[in-house]
Amino acid sequence: MFSVSKTEYGIFILKESGDRMKKKKVYPWWFLIIPLVFYVCFFLLPSLLGVGFSFTDWSSRSAVDGTHFVGLQNYIEIFTSDENYAAGIGHTLMFTVISNIVKLIPALLLAVMLQEGLKGKGLYRTILYLPSILPFVIIGIIFRSIFNFDHGLLNMILEGLHLEFLQQKWLSDLNVVWKSIFSVDAWRGIGYCMTIFLAGLQTIPKSLYEAAEIDGANFWQRLRYVTLPMISGAVMINLVFGITYGLKAFDIVYVLTNGGPGHATELLTTYSFQMYSTGNYGMSTAMNAVLLFITAVIGIIIVKVMSKKEVQQ
Amino acid sequence: MKKRIFAALLCASMVTAAFTGCSGDSGGDSAKSEWAGETLSILVSSGWMDNRWDDVLESFEEEYGVTVDLQTIPADQYPDLLQSKLTTDSCADVFWIQSNPFAIESVIVNPEEYCIDFSGAEWESLIPEARLSSCKYEDKLYGLQIYNNSPDCVMVYNKSMFEEHGWEVPATYDEFKELCGEILDEGITPWYMPGADGWQHQLTFFQIGGVYEQAQPGLYEALNTNQATFAGNEQMITALEQFKEFSDLGYFGEDWIGTDSSNLINAMAEREAAMVISGSGVIKQIRDDTGSEDEFGMFLEPFVDNQTFPTNPSGPTMFGYNKSEHPDLVKEYFNFVTKTENLQSILDNSPTWTNLDILDDNLEQHWLPEEEEFMSQITDEQKATPVLQTGTKYTNDYWNQFGQDMVAYVQGTIDDPNVVLENMDKNRAEAAKTANDPNWQ
Repeated sequence: MFSVSKTEYGIFILKESGDRMKKKKVYPWWFLIIPLVFYVCFFLLPSLLGVGFSFTDWSSRSAVDGTHFVGLQNYIEIFTSDENYAAGIGHTLMFTVISNIVKLIPALLLAVMLQEGLKGKGLYRTILYLPSILPFVIIGIIFRSIFNFDHGLLNMILEGLHLEFLQQKWLSDLNVVWKSIFSVDAWRGIGYCMTIFLAGLQTIPKSLYEAAEIDGANFWQRLRYVTLPMISGAVMINLVFGITYGLKAFDIVYVLTNGGPGHATELLTTYSFQMYSTGNYGMSTAMNAVLLFITAVIGIIIVKVMSKKEVQQ
Repeated sequence: MKKRIFAALLCASMVTAAFTGCSGDSGGDSAKSEWAGETLSILVSSGWMDNRWDDVLESFEEEYGVTVDLQTIPADQYPDLLQSKLTTDSCADVFWIQSNPFAIESVIVNPEEYCIDFSGAEWESLIPEARLSSCKYEDKLYGLQIYNNSPDCVMVYNKSMFEEHGWEVPATYDEFKELCGEILDEGITPWYMPGADGWQHQLTFFQIGGVYEQAQPGLYEALNTNQATFAGNEQMITALEQFKEFSDLGYFGEDWIGTDSSNLINAMAEREAAMVISGSGVIKQIRDDTGSEDEFGMFLEPFVDNQTFPTNPSGPTMFGYNKSEHPDLVKEYFNFVTKTENLQSILDNSPTWTNLDILDDNLEQHWLPEEEEFMSQITDEQKATPVLQTGTKYTNDYWNQFGQDMVAYVQGTIDDPNVVLENMDKNRAEAAKTANDPNWQ
């Protein structure tokens, strides 16, 4: 038995229904149980519990004094406190946007370059991908050393090239510190994004480029009208990964500046970690709940946009 | 055929190796082999267990047939990590805190749950009375503090360089500022300030607690009973303003916020820097590591015209984790390190320590003449008040946040020094409320 139904996007689809469809199922429904149990126990339940605890005064003394419901007090504190947690939210959003820009554009260009007939492209791909497998702690140690003002490699190279005017206090100058963080983040992440773009590029038929060339399209026109539309899936994947990474960013800032100098590079996550470490678990979970809310809203928007694009295609 | 011979040889060598391993184990003290093969984990902030402990740990491993898993964490990350480990029941068998008379309650919070009770341990008698308050809580012994009694966190200066230039040791802020100007004019960094370590620059403010108490007698008591605040305290504001002035004048070097202490010894030995706030042990380290023949001396930090000595009977202290899988091994470890020969090893292998503040007559101390000379000039009155972080409750817990605020003030993102002090008051109040301190109810 087949039936025809119309989706919310106005597309008619053919559905197989009834006993025949049931018979054709390869995997039984109970295969879902194990992943579902893991998902509920280790993700959904802790997340919901965390949101629940954000309305309490849960602290390091709770084992002795108990935990009490405090309503929205923690949330009010976040948005009204002198500690300027709102700046942490702002920094988090800024990091998300800029870190994606500085990674995706160079990654795309590198992917296009390495896709074409460059000699030794396999080697370049490997070299570019390598930083993304390094742990953040190692990256932090290496770059803190490289960025040292007096004895760091970077300033020494600049000095050797007689470019002293370019020397900077890379991790302690308020005007430079974010740029240093974005540079290190890009250095680490470009290879990963590039690999996803490369996978997308492999699927584009050569004939499309040949046709475009016959029509007189130059490099930028081919990129704009052939490459980009054809790898929109890879772009979307990179965007989703990049945005979720940016919103929950912690390690890269923690290892490079620990939120400093002063509080200049504090993110919502570093504030949350500080709160947790001083025993204010209720406040810490409230911050995480704010982050969860922001991530969920952005996530829903992305999914909606993606669904629309898929339907259009 | 060749393959068979090779396989037979390989088997034989494996069997031999296995038996060799067995004989090695059985050769040890059978009474102590019950832990053989186990791992004793130690969680510690960097700098608290440097190579002075290497030989002791190695001996412990050999004697008990165990492996010591030493987890050394960068200092600026340690307090956060320790709290996370304690509250998630995933702490190491032995963990360290920077202890003081209030720290067990405020840092560990629930020592009964997290710490092994060592009351009655033989080594209790080795700890001087002044340090016991940092190791005990509600009359139960939880911590073991093996620390030195050298003048700590005072101004250490290159005496030879001072004499060559005719520079005098300053006693007031104005003299200090003038001196630093002269040193800077010579192209030398007056004061090596490792701001990137995250914990050192705060010393300039907290070590002169005596001067705050001198200006307002009873201040510590008032701070501990919520009758006084940091905010509005004129001397504290002055200390922060003077710190900023030094930073603005370049007396801490061009990028002190981005500088860590990794180059301190070389900078002092090579005369790139003239002074540093440190313990007298750094003199020993400069000589041992670099062979420098310069003379060094010490004087009291003259911010706010301070002339009080930074008395501080606190220090890094180790605790046994109550939820350890092998609490008896932990207890054995504490017994082991407090044996005279192991204490001697810790002292002898220390790059900076010249003595141990331990009541063991068999220990051979190595006091420096500079220490003896400096301490002979300090009166009992100058030693009367402990440093601010040790003498007041809930203060040391916010050491790192205070340091961040100091940097923010220096860089101008906090424009009023009083805001830095207000933040400390707010944090202390928060901690006091959490601890149900009746003075903050």
